[in-house]
Amino acid sequence: MRYIWMVALAAGLVAPTVIAHAGPITFNSALPVADGMSILRSQIKLVRKSGDATPAGRVLNATATPVVLAYGASPRLALFGVLPYVDKRLDVTVGGTRIRRGARGIGDALLFGRYTVIQVDKPGDTLRVAPFAGLKLPTGSHTQTDAFGPVPRILQPGSGSWDPFLGLAATRQTLDWELDAAARYRFNTEASGFRFGDEARLDASFQYRMFPRTLERGGVPAFAYLVLESNLIWNGKNRASGITDANSGGLAWNLAPGLQYVSDRFVLETAIQIPAVQHLNGTALKSDWIWTAGFRWNFFF
Amino acid sequence: MTTLRFLLLTILLLTAPLAPTAAQEAAAPSATITVDGLSCPFCAYGLEKHLKKVPGVERVDINMKDGQAIVHLKPDARVDDAALKAAVKKAGFTARRITRP
Repeated sequence: MRYIWMVALAAGLVAPTVIAHAGPITFNSALPVADGMSILRSQIKLVRKSGDATPAGRVLNATATPVVLAYGASPRLALFGVLPYVDKRLDVTVGGTRIRRGARGIGDALLFGRYTVIQVDKPGDTLRVAPFAGLKLPTGSHTQTDAFGPVPRILQPGSGSWDPFLGLAATRQTLDWELDAAARYRFNTEASGFRFGDEARLDASFQYRMFPRTLERGGVPAFAYLVLESNLIWNGKNRASGITDANSGGLAWNLAPGLQYVSDRFVLETAIQIPAVQHLNGTALKSDWIWTAGFRWNFFF
Repeated sequence: MTTLRFLLLTILLLTAPLAPTAAQEAAAPSATITVDGLSCPFCAYGLEKHLKKVPGVERVDINMKDGQAIVHLKPDARVDDAALKAAVKKAGFTARRITRP
């Protein structure tokens, strides 16, 4: 059982990354949320990790479905709430037998605020810079069990911990293209004898308007963007009962081509994150791909 | 000849109610706001909603290409520039200029 525990810990980045907000598909932008306006956003995110170098032949499949509600408290201050539903499954060989472990349920919620500190508006062009800060709440269960006993913490829907995070988002948007960049750091804390390693991210996104080719028709036409995103993610090593797990954490760089359809009321989007570089610690599982599809809808109460 | 007269009369009767409406629209006051920072359709909705909330505003037409919001006002409505600028600011944009015909 101890072997299973260590194997599961090595599964690495199972917890869903922050998926929310307007702009890019895989991270935050600094675009405005109008005063009093709300944006409902949801995504489905499929994660697959395999390529296990050990005889255990671990294969991880995870699904995360976060629901995001954004609210413009003022023209500069936007508040966000995220509640995900997660389903994690790890197939592993133990003593010559293939077994499956996992758990599903409501995951950890995120609450955060973003304030625009720089706003430079020109005709058909805007530059925004907005720091954000928030807290990950332990709304997800971290004590689920299966036929083999308590499910390893890495496979639990929740972490059990209160984890603060902060970051900075910047967006330059024109009628033809958009460039976003964001940096974020999350300080993970201990809960029930387990502490996930801290997480740092550097993200970038470039979106180019493919359709309509020209804006001669006037009005507010829907835009179709070709998207390319980059996610550089560092995870610290996990600690269980005061012992550092050498087979967890590391550095990964993903490239994510995608498509986005943007109208005045809703957005449809999809992207696939493909690992370009993975320097993971020990036998931590490497990512095969992460597929994301979602929508956004704006409304006033 | 009787048929032709009947047709002409029918056309006249059908189009007559439209004439005053078109005339009224032409006479209805409006304001054109040049909005800086408007560069995405998804953000345009907030601008339209905030401008529509201004008392006296009947309809809003947004033109992304020119960065303009044309605000059609109710007949005899008095809407000052400050109210329109405040609505644009609430939507998260900057009103550079407001012109009235």
